[in-house]
Amino acid sequence: MAIAQARPHIRPRLNSRKLAESALFYAGVLLFLLVVLLPIWYIFLTAFAAGDQLFTKPLNYFPQTFGFLDRLQIVFSNLPIAQYLLNTVFLALASTLIALFLSFLAAYSIARLQFPGANLVLTILLASTMLPGVATVIPLFQMWQTLKLMNTLQGLLILYVSPLLPITVWVLVSFVKQVPVEIEDAAKVDGAGFWSMIWHVVLPTIKPGLAVMFIVNFIAGWNEFFTPLIFARGPASKTITMALSEAQTIGSSTQFYQNWGNMSAVAIIVTVPVFIITLLFQRQIIEGITAGAIK
Amino acid sequence: MTTRRLMLAYALVAPVVLWRLATSIYPFIYTAYLSFHDNSPVRRTFDFIGIQNYIQAFNDTNTPISLEFTAFFTIASVSLQVVFALAVALLLNRSFPLRGVVRAVNLLPWAMSAIVIGTAARWMFNVDYGLINDIIWRLTGERPLWLVDVTSARFAVVFVDVWKNAAFLSVIFLSGLQGIPQEVYEAARIDGAGRLQSFWHITLPLLLPLILSMAIFGAIFRVLTFEIVYALTEGGPGTTTALFSYLAYLQAFRVLNFGYAAAISMILFFIVLVVGLVGFGFLRRAWARYY
Repeated sequence: MAIAQARPHIRPRLNSRKLAESALFYAGVLLFLLVVLLPIWYIFLTAFAAGDQLFTKPLNYFPQTFGFLDRLQIVFSNLPIAQYLLNTVFLALASTLIALFLSFLAAYSIARLQFPGANLVLTILLASTMLPGVATVIPLFQMWQTLKLMNTLQGLLILYVSPLLPITVWVLVSFVKQVPVEIEDAAKVDGAGFWSMIWHVVLPTIKPGLAVMFIVNFIAGWNEFFTPLIFARGPASKTITMALSEAQTIGSSTQFYQNWGNMSAVAIIVTVPVFIITLLFQRQIIEGITAGAIK
Repeated sequence: MTTRRLMLAYALVAPVVLWRLATSIYPFIYTAYLSFHDNSPVRRTFDFIGIQNYIQAFNDTNTPISLEFTAFFTIASVSLQVVFALAVALLLNRSFPLRGVVRAVNLLPWAMSAIVIGTAARWMFNVDYGLINDIIWRLTGERPLWLVDVTSARFAVVFVDVWKNAAFLSVIFLSGLQGIPQEVYEAARIDGAGRLQSFWHITLPLLLPLILSMAIFGAIFRVLTFEIVYALTEGGPGTTTALFSYLAYLQAFRVLNFGYAAAISMILFFIVLVVGLVGFGFLRRAWARYY
């Protein structure tokens, strides 16, 4: 205090500079929040607006009417949304679990058993993720027709698991490598068999890695669009992302009619669950993203 | 290594390897084979025609338009993403009240389905009632035509892709920033470096390897983008925003010209290969020189 009074010309100058700097900083944060949240808010706004309230010029940034429940009712009564949701949950969950289990086995083998060619296997797996989807889809389409797998959940499940495998193996390899070999050896000395050691020692130690990949893969499965677009032909296997374009043409004979309100209602059904997962498991998602990218 | 242990090792990787072989690697090889055939389920043809499909692809007027846009999209989107993600990472690297909330918000575009974003974006770019034009109109009094005009439609696709994917990069950059020891900045400050100088002379050089390698991975995945174009522009106006992958999709599942679509997919694969090889070759040379 005494120093500040003794040098009154310094403190205010520093303060105003700091103030300007933090004002600039918060302006940046605010701008960022607007850029991310405004488009999301606009989807809600569109879904909430009743009937022709959609078309207002200039735009109302707060809902004037509440037509969301009517829209949900329209969407649910015109499309098999419940069936789509069930298919989506099944595909996302089952593909995630299968991918996690198989990737764990492979990751353990690559990280621990050090067989000749382990690195080659990992490299080929990772390189295969860069094959364009369109460059594999035509033969798969023909195979799926021959094998009668078109428009079946099993058929889609096989394809949902596939892209998850390389990255999951990659991430789990780094997790398995972090498990000290000593505790595995200790378990062996105690007389544990291979599978008992895997189950009681290795799996519990890499649980965080499994959790991370579970969440990231579940979100990927939930959001999948290209695979059902090609391989799902009816309610038996269609997923919730397919309902977006279907909701736009409810009550119209032409595919060019676009009902943005109904589309937005479906967009909310697709989006809200992943938002909740994201907010709950923020830490795991961030870890999942960085674990995949930075070794 | 005992035979038993070796057998176990192979048995454990086998499911993953076989799964990928059946659903990715074998189909890819078969696509290469198909690309030398006239194969159409409509015309019921399956005839060997050599490189006719490739010749057709190079003579097709859509090919240069699509390749040009694919290049523009990749370069523009990756550069904007890097700049945007770096700015966001720098913001989030500072501690401030509610930082946790802002970090969570940052993840939302990453978590959203690309097809939801693409479809909703089509509505947002609506000339009269869309969000984007409402903001622009409030600021400038103009209402750009966006998806009707070639140049603005191309930028619209880029902007949507940046909005969706910058979050992924910013999370990675943020973790890179947190890996830089605070002492380096302390030392620089004692030497009289300002914030901006610290950024140019410490942050950027230390983060550069990460930025470049993520930019190359980003470029590869941009070339493979599908959903946003499918939902936002359907490749239009004309085929001016048809990414090469979208062109292959159209030939395969709208025109049902499997052989020709296979050839386009193979060209796409070579583009990805070249981007990857050139990119990582460049990286390796740069590292050999500087590190």
